[in-house]
Amino acid sequence: MKPNHLIFGAGVMLASGGIWLLFVALPSWYPDEEVAIAAGERAPSMPSDGETVEATLFYVSDDGMRLVGIKQPLEQQPETAAQARVIIEAQLTDPPQPLLSPIPTGTELRAFYLTNRGEAFVDLSEEVTLNHSGGSLEELFTVYAVVNAVTANLSSINAVQILVNGQEVDTLAGHVDLQRPLELNMRWVADPEEGAISDVPSPEPTP
Amino acid sequence: MSHRLFSALAFVLLALNPAQGQTPDEPLTLVSRDARQPLPTVSFGGLRMVAVSELALAFGLTVADDQQPGRLILTRDDQVVVLTVNEGLVSVSGRLVSLASPPVEYEGAWYVPIDFIGRTLPLVYNEAVDLRRRSGLVVLGDIRVPQVVGRYQRTESRQRLRLMISPATPHVIEEQPDQLLVQFEADALDLVLPDLATNDLIAGLRGIDSPPALAVDLRDTFGSFSATSEAAIGGATELVIDIRPRPTTVRAAPPPIPATPRPADPAVDPDLPALADLAPPRTIRAIAIDPGHGGDDVGTRGPNGTLEKEVTLDVARRLQTRIESELGLRVILTRTTDSTVALDERAAIANNNRADLFISLHTNASVRETAAGAEVFYLSLAEYSEEARRTEDGGQPLPTVGGGTRTLDIVPWEMAQLQHVYDSVRWAETVTDELSLRLPMSPRGLQRAPFRVLVGANMPAIVVEMGFISNPDQETQLTSATFQNAIVNGLLRGIIRYREEVARGIPLVGPPAPATAERPPSQRRLP
Repeated sequence: MKPNHLIFGAGVMLASGGIWLLFVALPSWYPDEEVAIAAGERAPSMPSDGETVEATLFYVSDDGMRLVGIKQPLEQQPETAAQARVIIEAQLTDPPQPLLSPIPTGTELRAFYLTNRGEAFVDLSEEVTLNHSGGSLEELFTVYAVVNAVTANLSSINAVQILVNGQEVDTLAGHVDLQRPLELNMRWVADPEEGAISDVPSPEPTP
Repeated sequence: MSHRLFSALAFVLLALNPAQGQTPDEPLTLVSRDARQPLPTVSFGGLRMVAVSELALAFGLTVADDQQPGRLILTRDDQVVVLTVNEGLVSVSGRLVSLASPPVEYEGAWYVPIDFIGRTLPLVYNEAVDLRRRSGLVVLGDIRVPQVVGRYQRTESRQRLRLMISPATPHVIEEQPDQLLVQFEADALDLVLPDLATNDLIAGLRGIDSPPALAVDLRDTFGSFSATSEAAIGGATELVIDIRPRPTTVRAAPPPIPATPRPADPAVDPDLPALADLAPPRTIRAIAIDPGHGGDDVGTRGPNGTLEKEVTLDVARRLQTRIESELGLRVILTRTTDSTVALDERAAIANNNRADLFISLHTNASVRETAAGAEVFYLSLAEYSEEARRTEDGGQPLPTVGGGTRTLDIVPWEMAQLQHVYDSVRWAETVTDELSLRLPMSPRGLQRAPFRVLVGANMPAIVVEMGFISNPDQETQLTSATFQNAIVNGLLRGIIRYREEVARGIPLVGPPAPATAERPPSQRRLP
């Protein structure tokens, strides 16, 4: 073997070791408590394989006094943050008739962040406050539709804090405290035994 | 030569990689109604994992390799769990469950992170499966295993154990010659005990399996102990045990008579200097009324254009007049005109004016026109994340002048409502009772919610949603003098009843009760 080949081989090995040290060893040796995983626009998700997963989304009941959980098939994603984005975006879209959405019209998901402590930050567009009707019950429904859609479907996410236009806010419409992350709360959701949680009727097959 | 160099470098890299190989870790303990048994765990580069074969034995799972390489199928009855190597999401009969780390296949055996037990097995096992990570317990079935988290504080004259018992569980303390035995009415204990460090009074803390108990081993210096038990946030009980050494006998001249003899009350901590009585007055002298919204913030709007901010101010003024004229109490309005007042400022106005009760008036709205009825809300901390709730856990050691530290229970100013949760529940119940005699109530008249305006109120505080302004009939009612007077009558009667309860001796803020004393059921209820 020629000496320059030997030098080249050693160089490749050292470079590989350096890369491993930088990207594998060092991150695993340091505590990850404060490391936040950013998803959304800043971290494009891995492509999904076209499979679907069933997720529960939350809409306003017939009497307007509760949320109801509705199971819907959504595109399966390979990692939690990307799956959460898909779930929230589905929650923000209009539900099938005759259900009503607890989310003010025009609200969009700006970004989603997930910490290693299992706390998620859902950044919504300003329409969530500008177009809100202002009632405390509706505000509770808006907040807990988002919080529950994330925490009920993704067991690794413990709590959700809602941001508006990238900023922390006191409330959406003057009532529900958003200065701290909120946990899953099914008290605002109709009891499944009452038959309120149901599958969405399958769309009519097209001829 | 190059091959030898390559091999040497590869060996070094493998040796440094913490993810390679496994080492035994502390076993978990499976606790069921009938037995306790260890569940071995191993550590992969610091990640605590359990062998799938061990789980299969313990939980009756059938393990089969999938046709697709790198996948493992676990079945139990008709439930199917699919594990994929290097994949952090597990499929449980079509539902995705995320794990702290992907499964690992190592030397022909599969391993999963221990959170697999708490997140996945409850979905396939026909009994409850609860992983208690801090104590290493895996609780099977519906058995009573309260969590007991201990904290330890020390001063010169006594040592204090604070045991947060969740959920609240009956217990007794038995004094034995060399130990205190805290016995619980439970099937097992989920114990998280503090480090006592060097200790000349307490030899150690240890759990006893049968019957479930916490043993506090004492040294010869032990003299006496006292204990108090207090209901805490989230349905827990805090048991505080103060342990004091035997007083040293002084045979010299009799000690001088102290200028101010110490009180004999054992509840008074002799370490702390006398402080001014900062307890709130045991009567109701001032009421804060908060007309919701105002100024730029119109609140919600009825179908005929009625604004919430106008209705709330109208009712607040009516209530003010009636309270002042009929009860002779001082009334503070957080706004008297159509002005914008921030939520935190509303609580601050009530606090600064030393109000004894706080009422925030609102009208509700729904996307469904038919929604109707009044609702009363009090603050709940249960909705906040565990980390946020931890802010209520006071007991911060602070440095004092001249050296040393002193432990003070600190409540962040923006969470002042924390110390009034019991009273706010009772205050809300009283108002709900009275309003329901006079108004249509919603199907859930009494509610708890994390409402911002209540968080900073340093007194019993509620939000009253008087009706749904989005309902055309209720909109008309809410603007009528008859309906507004009915609301005012209900609130006025609620104030009178609550004031009578306080006058009968039920304190505004419940002081620690002796361990043997039972609080009335209404006081034990927590949000």
